[in-house]
Amino acid sequence: MAEKAVLLDLSKCMACRGCQVACKQWNDLPAEKTTFFGGPGYQNPKDLSPQTWTLVKFFEKKENGSLIWAFRKHQCLHCSDAACIAACPVTPKAMTRDKETGIVYVDESRCIGCGACVEYCPFGVPHVDEKDEKSKKCTFCIDRIQEGLEPACVKTCPSGALIFGDRDEMLKKAKAIAKKLKMAGRNPYIYGIKELKGLHKIYVLPEGLDFYDLPKSPKVPEDIGLLEGLLKPISVATLTAAAVGLAIGYLKTVRQEQVAEKEKEKC
Amino acid sequence: MTNHWIDIRNSDCIMIIGSNAAENHPISFKWVTEAMENGAKLISVDPRFTRTSSKADIYAPLRSGTDIAFIGGIINYCLVNGLYNEEYVAEFTNASHLINSGFGFSDGYFSGFDQKNSKYSKSTWQYQLDENGIPKEDKTLKDPNCVFQLMKKHYSRYDADTVSKVTGCPKAMFLKVTKKYCETGQRGKAGTIMYAMGTTQHTYGTQNVRSYAVLQLLLGNMGLAGGGINALRGESNVQGSTDHCLLFHIIPGYLKTPKAGDKDLQTYLKHYTPVSKDPKSVNYWKHYPKFAVSLLKAFWGDAATEENDFAYNYLPKISGNYSHIALFEALYKGVIKGMILLGQNPAVGGPNARMERKAMENLDWMVAADLWETETASFWKGPEVDPKKIKTEVFLLPAAASFEKEGSITNSGRWAQWRYQAVNPPGQAKDDLWILNAIFTRVQNLYKKEGGKFPEPITKLAWNYGEHPSSHTVAKEINGYNLTTGKLLANFTKLKDDGTTMCGNWLYSGSYTEDGNMMARRELDDPTGIGLYPKWTWCWPVNRRIIYNRASCDTKGNPWNPDKYVIKWNGEKWVGDVPDYGKTVPPEKNVGAFIMKPEGHARIFGMGLADGPFPEHYEPVESPVENMISSVQIDPIVKVWDSEMDKIGTSDTFPIIATTYRVTEHWQTGAMTRSLPWLVELMPNMFCEMSKSLAKKKSIKNGDNVKIKSARGEIEAYALVTDRFQPFKLNGKVVEEIGLAWHYGFIGLSKGDSANCLTPHVGDANTMIPEYKAFLCDVKKA
Repeated sequence: MAEKAVLLDLSKCMACRGCQVACKQWNDLPAEKTTFFGGPGYQNPKDLSPQTWTLVKFFEKKENGSLIWAFRKHQCLHCSDAACIAACPVTPKAMTRDKETGIVYVDESRCIGCGACVEYCPFGVPHVDEKDEKSKKCTFCIDRIQEGLEPACVKTCPSGALIFGDRDEMLKKAKAIAKKLKMAGRNPYIYGIKELKGLHKIYVLPEGLDFYDLPKSPKVPEDIGLLEGLLKPISVATLTAAAVGLAIGYLKTVRQEQVAEKEKEKC
Repeated sequence: MTNHWIDIRNSDCIMIIGSNAAENHPISFKWVTEAMENGAKLISVDPRFTRTSSKADIYAPLRSGTDIAFIGGIINYCLVNGLYNEEYVAEFTNASHLINSGFGFSDGYFSGFDQKNSKYSKSTWQYQLDENGIPKEDKTLKDPNCVFQLMKKHYSRYDADTVSKVTGCPKAMFLKVTKKYCETGQRGKAGTIMYAMGTTQHTYGTQNVRSYAVLQLLLGNMGLAGGGINALRGESNVQGSTDHCLLFHIIPGYLKTPKAGDKDLQTYLKHYTPVSKDPKSVNYWKHYPKFAVSLLKAFWGDAATEENDFAYNYLPKISGNYSHIALFEALYKGVIKGMILLGQNPAVGGPNARMERKAMENLDWMVAADLWETETASFWKGPEVDPKKIKTEVFLLPAAASFEKEGSITNSGRWAQWRYQAVNPPGQAKDDLWILNAIFTRVQNLYKKEGGKFPEPITKLAWNYGEHPSSHTVAKEINGYNLTTGKLLANFTKLKDDGTTMCGNWLYSGSYTEDGNMMARRELDDPTGIGLYPKWTWCWPVNRRIIYNRASCDTKGNPWNPDKYVIKWNGEKWVGDVPDYGKTVPPEKNVGAFIMKPEGHARIFGMGLADGPFPEHYEPVESPVENMISSVQIDPIVKVWDSEMDKIGTSDTFPIIATTYRVTEHWQTGAMTRSLPWLVELMPNMFCEMSKSLAKKKSIKNGDNVKIKSARGEIEAYALVTDRFQPFKLNGKVVEEIGLAWHYGFIGLSKGDSANCLTPHVGDANTMIPEYKAFLCDVKKA
């Protein structure tokens, strides 16, 4: 099987949120108890969680008298250079990449729920479920892919905003769509060509990069190596979520100190 | 829809007005998107910026209830600038027809208005006839009495400045829409109008639709691929229920419910069978007696004989208005004692819902069949009700959902699609056929045993479906049989008026024939390439996918757009879609293109309407401004009811316009969605959308709890403060509008106040559809 990707052509997304429901249906995820929170737009739930692996974010902006109401389906981007995998402290890693397709998924039998992936993901995607202490996120419907089906969200999308296929094909399509949008006077940006050595969820952002609450140049945090170093003395068998938590906490303090020092230097 | 869903992809310009298709018909956007990929332009006209607007090339705001002003302005621009399709207008519409010289229009009234009875006499709304009884025409369209000139005069008052003052749409924006849409008047171009309840739910909703029809006829957009007037039906099978006429004034196949004066079959048939003396007119409704007699045979079988007028006297005759609003007014007065509701939830969905809930207290009994407990079935424990004081006995019957039963669903595009049963209904839930059969057989047995004042219509009804009726048996009965041979009919051209055929609905004849269940077909042939898919299910009438398709060709029979032809004349016959015309009638015979009209022409001048042959702008019953186009404030035919709960508000107390709508995530009264956790998660609470300027004025912040009050009630909701609502400038006066989702009620997983506690109990002059879409309110922080 070749490397796969989902192309998210946001010029066609109308935020019907069928993808949100399809995801919960296929993956048997319970509904969250939500309350109206004033958006922006109709967004709900507020964020991804162990029970919500994808959600549509709404963006509303008035520019030169005309209004732009844009939408972005948010979920794991299945990075080639995935911070979550780098951060995952267990051996073999619970956060796994499927070599053929490039899909990043959690092997729950190995996951200790330490939250290192949560801490280091530049997109805020994984969440640890307190009940079973496992990290949860979009699986790219790898169970469907292996059976020759497209992901549930793609299957349900009525407007053709979500397209599934081989990654190189999806990149070609993304470029063609962006070209067309540019000709129509839009300011498209393709997110996922080079970001983190290539994403497996590729966005065509018709309003440009700044509009959609995405990091401009996402990076794998540098101190992931330090985390590894800190945890090295602990054997695989005795590694616990608590120990990883302590290490992360320590690194956070170091990071904050570094930031504070830099601030001082500036002064 | 005159066309169908897939056909949207053939359009060059799509105007979505009175509809929020992206949110309420998301699947339609598959085809809208495809059209746009091929270069079509999308126009969204709406009081607020919706998810549909977010995808549009042009968005134009208009104040709720001002469609006729807006479209009237486009019509005027089109006429003044000669952007119409002249050949089409002259040959296919009644624009060339001469109207009685007594016809006139003066300051908001058409000729013949009877002030005392709020009714029009239509004696002057008629064609001038020649010595043979054929309408007189002037194909040059210059005669001052011809429809074209009368129309031109009528809409000359709708200039762009006036339109802007009335609608609140900036003039430049109005003109941008107008110019873009009028481009579809060019030969080879097609524009479509997609509309829904934002159009119809007004006291002049029918005239709103008529205004679209007039515009589409002028631009030559009717009958073409990518054209038409496309009503996006709000429920999966509401087209089917309309076709089978679950309404008081029509019986299956849009036949007329007899009135008290239609004393026998002959009188009835004479009353409703149109006559044309024009040899060039097909006048298809001349077959009315065949449809009606075959229906009577389906109803009463062997008990319907020539000697007894085919049991015509068993048909109920009406003497009044039995529409939803009228029924609830009667219920409120205590006239009605019992009520059966199948998948209906008026306690949330009815206009002036507080009043309708109060009216239910007068019932002795209620039977409600639904998937979940509804607010209607539980009106006795709703807000403002003391259950101890309610005497009504309520029976709640668990019903099967669509996936739990087999049968047909007719979509907006008139496609009757057979669906199989996927799973068994849970628990004791039963399908509607079972429920109705069980109720009816018991009622029939009671009449047989105990008799009654007039038991025969019930005791003699042809009803032999066994304990569990099969949907196939019913579908075959709808298709109809030749009673001599016992064979299923091929289509409605085989119907007879002598009692030798029976047919439950002439429009559906051909849907289930000796060749099998046509509705279950799933073949993907597309011979014309325009997506007609003639062997995919079945479509009424006679599997014709685009109606009025004769008008897709010019007078010579050449398609206006050869690349996307619907039908064309090949020298011997019409090929392509099933022609809406005689299959071998050559174009040079010049037979009228609109075969259902006795004059053979589409009506720009519509004498059948109750409130005028041309759509004219009036204000909603509750409006913040005076009518700026005439001194007649509201549609003069509209009935305003007078019970103590039917209060009408004025703008001094209620200065803000309110409108109601649905969201993608919920459906209708929420009876099917507010108990589904995944959908409740997406849209958990009742909310009210408003502009930033209104919020600032009322010190309301996004997410605050607010109170919304109308003359009929007060509700609470969360405020969603947004740029998507903007105040309207109406002739210098600034008016705010708010929007309310109407899905919520007091039962279910997600509860909230019902927007319909605020809406008025007034209906359209022609159809009585309630005016849900424009009324007055005030808003404050809770």
